[in-house]
Amino acid sequence: MPQLSINGQSYFTDSPPDSPLLWVIREDLRLTGTKFGCGGGYCGSCTVHINGQPVRSCMVKLGDVDSNAVITTIEGLDPSDAHPVQRAWIEHEVPQCGYCQSGQIMQAAALLAVNPNPTTDEIVQHMNGNLCRCATYSRMVTAIHRAAQLAKEA
Amino acid sequence: MGDMKTPQQGMTRRDFLVRSTVVAGSGFLSIGLPGLASKDAAAAGTAAFTPSIWFTMTPDGKTTMHIVKAEMGQHIGTGLAQVIADELEVKWADVRLDTPLESVANFAVYGLAYTVNSGSITTEFDRIARAGAAGRMALIEAGAKVLGVDAGGCYAKDSRVVQKSTGKSVTYGEILQKVTIDKKFAYPADFKSIALKSRDQYSLIGKSVASLDVPAKTNGKAKYGIDVFLPNMVYGALVIPRTRYSSKVVSVDDSEAKKIPGFIKAVKIEEAMGKCTGWVVAIADKYPTAVKAAKVLKVKYDAGPYAALDTPALLAQYKDLAKNEKESAAWVLEGDVDKGFSEAEKTLEMEYTTDMICHATMEPLNCTVQMTNGEWHVHIGTQSTSFARMTLTGYLATVLKKKPEDLKVFVHQYLVGGGFGGKQDYDDILAAAWCVKEVGRPVKLIHTRESNFATSFARTPTYHKLKAGIRDGKLVSMNQDIVCGWMGARFGVGKKYGSDWLQLDSVDGKSQDIDQWSIGGSDHWYEVKNHRVRAWNHETTTWAVQASALRTVSNSYNIFVVESFMDEVAHAAGRDPLEFRLSMLNGKGGNRGIPNTGYPPGTPSDYYMDRLWISLPWASENSWPSYESATVGGALRLANCLRVAAGKAGWGTRRLPPNTGLGIAVTAAEERQSPTWVAGIAEVTVDPATGSYSINRLTIAMDPGIVVNPKNVDAQIRGSALWGASQIMSERLTLKNGGFEQSNFHQYQPIRLAQVPEIDVTIIASDHHPSGVGEPASTIVAPAVANAIYNAVGARVRHMPIAPEAVLEAIKKAKA
Ligand code: FES
Ligand code: FES
Repeated sequence: MPQLSINGQSYFTDSPPDSPLLWVIREDLRLTGTKFGCGGGYCGSCTVHINGQPVRSCMVKLGDVDSNAVITTIEGLDPSDAHPVQRAWIEHEVPQCGYCQSGQIMQAAALLAVNPNPTTDEIVQHMNGNLCRCATYSRMVTAIHRAAQLAKEA
Repeated sequence: MGDMKTPQQGMTRRDFLVRSTVVAGSGFLSIGLPGLASKDAAAAGTAAFTPSIWFTMTPDGKTTMHIVKAEMGQHIGTGLAQVIADELEVKWADVRLDTPLESVANFAVYGLAYTVNSGSITTEFDRIARAGAAGRMALIEAGAKVLGVDAGGCYAKDSRVVQKSTGKSVTYGEILQKVTIDKKFAYPADFKSIALKSRDQYSLIGKSVASLDVPAKTNGKAKYGIDVFLPNMVYGALVIPRTRYSSKVVSVDDSEAKKIPGFIKAVKIEEAMGKCTGWVVAIADKYPTAVKAAKVLKVKYDAGPYAALDTPALLAQYKDLAKNEKESAAWVLEGDVDKGFSEAEKTLEMEYTTDMICHATMEPLNCTVQMTNGEWHVHIGTQSTSFARMTLTGYLATVLKKKPEDLKVFVHQYLVGGGFGGKQDYDDILAAAWCVKEVGRPVKLIHTRESNFATSFARTPTYHKLKAGIRDGKLVSMNQDIVCGWMGARFGVGKKYGSDWLQLDSVDGKSQDIDQWSIGGSDHWYEVKNHRVRAWNHETTTWAVQASALRTVSNSYNIFVVESFMDEVAHAAGRDPLEFRLSMLNGKGGNRGIPNTGYPPGTPSDYYMDRLWISLPWASENSWPSYESATVGGALRLANCLRVAAGKAGWGTRRLPPNTGLGIAVTAAEERQSPTWVAGIAEVTVDPATGSYSINRLTIAMDPGIVVNPKNVDAQIRGSALWGASQIMSERLTLKNGGFEQSNFHQYQPIRLAQVPEIDVTIIASDHHPSGVGEPASTIVAPAVANAIYNAVGARVRHMPIAPEAVLEAIKKAKA
């Protein structure tokens, strides 16, 4: 039975190896913060971190996940849900319906991890693959700048 | 839907009841109004009298607001709670929200749970403000009793009743523990005595308090319909026929699917009420297995009457239909249009067309259904909570051959991952319920993005013929002919489709119905002496694409057409498009709006009640006479917005870069009876070599009346403006061989971050009755962009969306 390390915990799943990681995370392990939007890599709703990299979990097969891989979902981004991106998101009330937001936050957090001072252009480039049908886009850009600031204050 | 017209036991549904009970030292206050006498309620054997409840206060000081409106990004629970809490004078920190379970009994208590038309604040504001005020008054009276002082000398603040002269006070919680409240405010006699706050007394209304649903949306804790788990549940994935509608399943071969471990069964959905035509669901123990099985099920179809249809064929049929005047029905008829044309010095005739778009909510349609102990439980995030229950009851009654009153159906409402009108349908619920019957286990049915696109409820394609008569530089006569599918038909709008609500009779004596949801927006607020709008229902479209309501419904295309054409007329008349519009937005005649009838105190005029857009039988009984119509002020308020937006955008004063233009548009969407006044200016730069264009900036001014939560209104305006940008730039749904051609986001492209223009929003708050803000700004962007493209490079494109190729062609045409 494949074993996964997610948010610092070990999980087992009986899903077949060709299952998209997304569905294993959501439905087998019930970490439902990670969302299904398109299943084709077009929307970013399903974004998680694998070894710190933002990855579209709908495009990764369970069998292709390295047994040592460190997977982080929105639930594990910060032990008290107070990652600078999350705090900035609340401060600027980014979410509307909220459905795309776990993916947006994971994508944004991955940017700040490698680039603590992104320019607006860098933000746009990095976030352009994440769709938001409610179009919360401009608040996201503001909030990412704010998160960069919060990360420094911490 | 039940007969909700009978007032109960001498009460009318506009009475308020404020009641508390004191049980063993704990109190409980609820406020409501007498229940609606619905057939459902009668069927369930509920008492004829049931209070309809907005909030419950407990002695610990906590007040729970019961929110039946769907939370789908508008933060509506917070907005409604702000209104009640302000009048009730309860501490905001003590406010909680909950979502009542939808059932026959609760329907009688909480009323209709249905969230559409940007209507939650505009229809509920006055009623809930009064509910809060009635609660406050009852608490002051009771608090004075506890204090042993005269109520007249007391006021309420921060969940306390205070005696003015001494400062002596008692908390709401203490009051509830000590005395029983049983107070009735009868309508209309006691209404003048319900003292609403004046605007300067508001402490929560008008404040950007933090929305209560936001934090859980940043940490994965927010629960949507798709996040539901039930014991022993299995998964369903859909096999969708090639045609959008009306296919029949001839045979299902599951031999390949059976080889997949975990596959359980292929279920052919029992069709009823014209829903789920040709649907087969693959059931498996896991969702990816269900999807895999769905792909290898071999289903043979009888493809039905629409199998050969495609978008170009539909458009050709529209043009033909528009030649047949007999089939039309008029929706606007003022003056004598033909006479106006004959007296004109110049006439202008243009054709416009618009393509389909669809909702494409980020959360695909899904639902989970369970049957247990003879009860059907639906778990879903839907805009139509009450109707979902009623429709499933009707479906089960039909397919199981039972009496509706013998069925127990409950709907558990969750967060909605995007609505936009796309989550007010029931096919998935019915299909899931049928699967539950077939496999005897709870079923979670989730659309793949592909099946979600294939079963889209599309905005109808449209064809428009417009004619203007110009004399002395003025628009003296205007005709608009519209051919499209009727978007209300699927909801039974129109006598022909089962009901006589909402649809309007033609104003030129024709027997055909007019579907307001397909024509609205053409009835603009400009003063044009002779004005006619005629409409044709292209019934094949209505069914073939399952034409349906989508953010701003028909305004979504009609504003594009009307506002583009207005610019064309202005240019033909040799006038500046801004000055031309302002001269006609003069608030004269029918465009003056319904004046304030002086309520409160008093009652709204019958005329106003009759003309409320919510004049549906079920809604009017459930609706409320607000103290004034949202139309008050009329076109003058629209002109004011236009002046503000044009001024801020620098219309006529700014030096623009080459190939750059500004374009104007205004709207009073949603309906003429519930307008929100919005004006917008787009700044667009066009590349004349390729026709590609970018929107640099949108300047938007909106007067929605009272603004409950400015930050949320701002967010709604921005989101809807980008929805508008998206539909003019890139969204396009097309029909081929009876089915939609686009299957996922590589082919159907909503706006992305890199395309987002700068947006300058001005909210012109006024003390008029609030109107809806979630949609109207989405209508003005497309025409403002089209007009800006014209002003930039002289290219007029009369089709939506505007593709770069079309701009290039128009540039060439303009040069020729
Ligand atoms: S669900 Fe994975 S990218 Fe859309
Ligand atoms: S917040 Fe609704 S899709 Fe992004």
